[in-house]
Amino acid sequence: MNQEYELNINPLPAKTWNWLHMNGTSVKSPALLENGTVEQTVPSSVEYKAASENKADAAFSEIQTGMGTEMDGFLKSGDVELRFYTTKSQTSEKQPLVLNFTYGTGRQMANRLAFHLLPGSELTVLMDLSAEAESCGTAALQTKVYAEEGAVLHLVQVQRLGKGFTFYNDIGAKCEKNARVETIQLVLGGKNTYLGSRSALEGESSVLSSDVGYLVGADERLDMNFVAYHTGKKTESRMDASGVLRENGFKLFRGTIDFRKGCAGAVGNEKEDVLLLDDAVVNQTIPLILCEEEDVEGNHGATIGKLDEELLFYLESRGMSEEAVYEMMARARIDAIAGKIPDAGVREKVRAYLGDTQDEEK
Amino acid sequence: MKEKTYVEDIDRSMYDFRNEEKDAYRVKEGLTPAIVEQISREKHDPVWMQNFRLQSLQIYNEMEMPDWGPSIEGLNMENIVTYVRPNTHMSAKWSDVPEDIKDTFEKLGIPQAERKSLAGVGAQYDSELVYHNVRAEVAAQGVVYTDMESALTGKYEDMVRRHFMKLVPPRDHKFAALHGAVWSGGSFVYVPPGVSVEIPLQSYFRLNAPGAGQFEHTLIIVDEGAYLHFIEGCSAPKYNVANLHAGCVELYVGKNATLRYSTIENWSKNMYNLNTKRAKVAEGGKIEWVSGSFGSHVSYLYPMSLLNGEGARAEFTGITFAGKGQNLDTGAKIVHNAPNTSSYMNTRSISKDGGISTFRSAVVVNPKAKGSKSAVSCQSLMLDDISRSDTIPAMDIRTNDADVGHEAKIGRISDEAVFYLMSRGISEEEARALIVSGFADNVSKELPLEYAVEMNNLIRLEMKGSIG
Repeated sequence: MNQEYELNINPLPAKTWNWLHMNGTSVKSPALLENGTVEQTVPSSVEYKAASENKADAAFSEIQTGMGTEMDGFLKSGDVELRFYTTKSQTSEKQPLVLNFTYGTGRQMANRLAFHLLPGSELTVLMDLSAEAESCGTAALQTKVYAEEGAVLHLVQVQRLGKGFTFYNDIGAKCEKNARVETIQLVLGGKNTYLGSRSALEGESSVLSSDVGYLVGADERLDMNFVAYHTGKKTESRMDASGVLRENGFKLFRGTIDFRKGCAGAVGNEKEDVLLLDDAVVNQTIPLILCEEEDVEGNHGATIGKLDEELLFYLESRGMSEEAVYEMMARARIDAIAGKIPDAGVREKVRAYLGDTQDEEK
Repeated sequence: MKEKTYVEDIDRSMYDFRNEEKDAYRVKEGLTPAIVEQISREKHDPVWMQNFRLQSLQIYNEMEMPDWGPSIEGLNMENIVTYVRPNTHMSAKWSDVPEDIKDTFEKLGIPQAERKSLAGVGAQYDSELVYHNVRAEVAAQGVVYTDMESALTGKYEDMVRRHFMKLVPPRDHKFAALHGAVWSGGSFVYVPPGVSVEIPLQSYFRLNAPGAGQFEHTLIIVDEGAYLHFIEGCSAPKYNVANLHAGCVELYVGKNATLRYSTIENWSKNMYNLNTKRAKVAEGGKIEWVSGSFGSHVSYLYPMSLLNGEGARAEFTGITFAGKGQNLDTGAKIVHNAPNTSSYMNTRSISKDGGISTFRSAVVVNPKAKGSKSAVSCQSLMLDDISRSDTIPAMDIRTNDADVGHEAKIGRISDEAVFYLMSRGISEEEARALIVSGFADNVSKELPLEYAVEMNNLIRLEMKGSIG
């Protein structure tokens, strides 16, 4: 029988009042996780190998993730293999690297991925994380990225897990000079979803761009911890989260822009837009700006609530039911994020998933 | 090469004078049941209050130190004297106050302010009030403004007992429990239904004794349809030992009543300011907090508003200026517990010369608070690269029928703004001073004129410097 461990994950970088229950999350996880099955399509310019931790580049071991050290240690301590992808320097790969994770019901699975982007390379990675609609189980995915000078990574994750699934999705990135990491994450299912993401912008003018879109429904929980850690000069971060909560859905968004000493000229922007559809939803938001550098600019904005009454009235006066209006606005939020995917083929694929999701709901 | 504007620290010389302790009564350092009993005896507490103190002490000993704010490792309760009584009794006549104490408050401008712009004044020196007075015409309206000790045993005893530490129970946090055990001094105010007190009341708290704590309790009840503006001021001379302020403010705002509570806090830089303030607002009532935090070595200060009646409102306007050696953790908490409640928070913080300022807030909208609205705006200004400024706002929304907005900005003085002002013939130094004054005007415009002028003078003094 699997023994359960208690893990403290998604720690808020600066603690606040404990009664708010936002400082971090304590979870129980099975002690034994098997390697998840991955179907992959790897472009010709990308080298793939499976590697054990001790053979992995030291740079990856040092990369911290959003879920924190306990999850990192937990995954390292098991037998989960590290899948290692390396791009070719000065090569912009047109074909996306596609990774399909299909999680079977009742299973406890984990995957660890490392992407090493050599200088001047560009790669799009599409991860499709799926399970049967009624399935249950546990899955963990850790993705570490090391983007060398001038490298660009577009990382797209579409999560469509079953109603009983608990999913840990943990990202850590380190960016050198002029490197850029763009992540787009769509959370469209799963009972308990934990997202962590931490990007260390160490090189001058390195950039993080992060978009998260989510639909959280009945008995579902989404717990996020996003950190942009600025140490390099003129670094930029942008973190946008947009989503919809229905029925008794629960969502907690932690977003931190951390301006460390020496990051002169850095700019960080965070934005959150949450549409609350039903009366039993719980929405928690805690956007931090931590600053020990004078020459920086940090902004945060959040809008939380139901639809604007005037807009609702206008659309209803055009013959739409209130329910149809809300469905349309919910879909529009996800569509807007999907529209940011740079690769047209990937974009269409994601929209096809969304179409499926909508059809399934009907 | 252009050098940066040097921004002076706050000039505290007007607050940093000290009197020798003469014939004052003080308990031993530390915190034991015997000391708490001794304080209770000295204050002639009723039995229920003595029991309350001892229970609070037990709670204090059971509770953990906060694990989330600035470090308070430099505060050792074994070294703090929790009760120091000056060698005088409270008087309603200024002439009866001992010369050295009178001189202290005159330097701070308290009697002048009373004559000019206040409806009543309370002056606390260390652990006890030394002066308390209210204008006859205000008293004639039925307004009660007295010291807490008199209220505790006089005709308002039942009212005090019903409200005392009910909003901030000792179990709220460790320093609330400490307050419950050793509180002394403070004011009790009751404004009857429909009475509007046109000019403010003020309490001023002065901590003179080195290594001492001040634990005053302020209890204000503004009854239905009434209005009050209450001003709280505090200062202390600087010593090289830690002083502690763990006061408690409990405000009850009745149906359709309004209470404005303004604070200009200018404790010295050896002070640990661990203060608790809370207001409960009934249907249609309004609490307005205006808060300026300039002093203290370490501050934990987050006035909390409980909007319990339909249509209740809260506004919080604050400024925090953290200079050298200061770690000021300030902000507000607002809980929407009833339909159609609304809240607005508007804060500014400035960090310079190694100072740390943290804006910390919580907006909670509970399921019952349908139709509620909340907006939070916080802006931080970094004046150099050795300081620190953090923003930690939390929102917890538990109904879809709410409209919550939040915006935060952090940055430095805009070069474009300085350039624009200089192109109009203003020197760079003046331009920067103007920008910082403008940055703080969210608070100064909410204060009575005399206080706004004093606050702006403080900021102007800070901005005196040189451009290389």
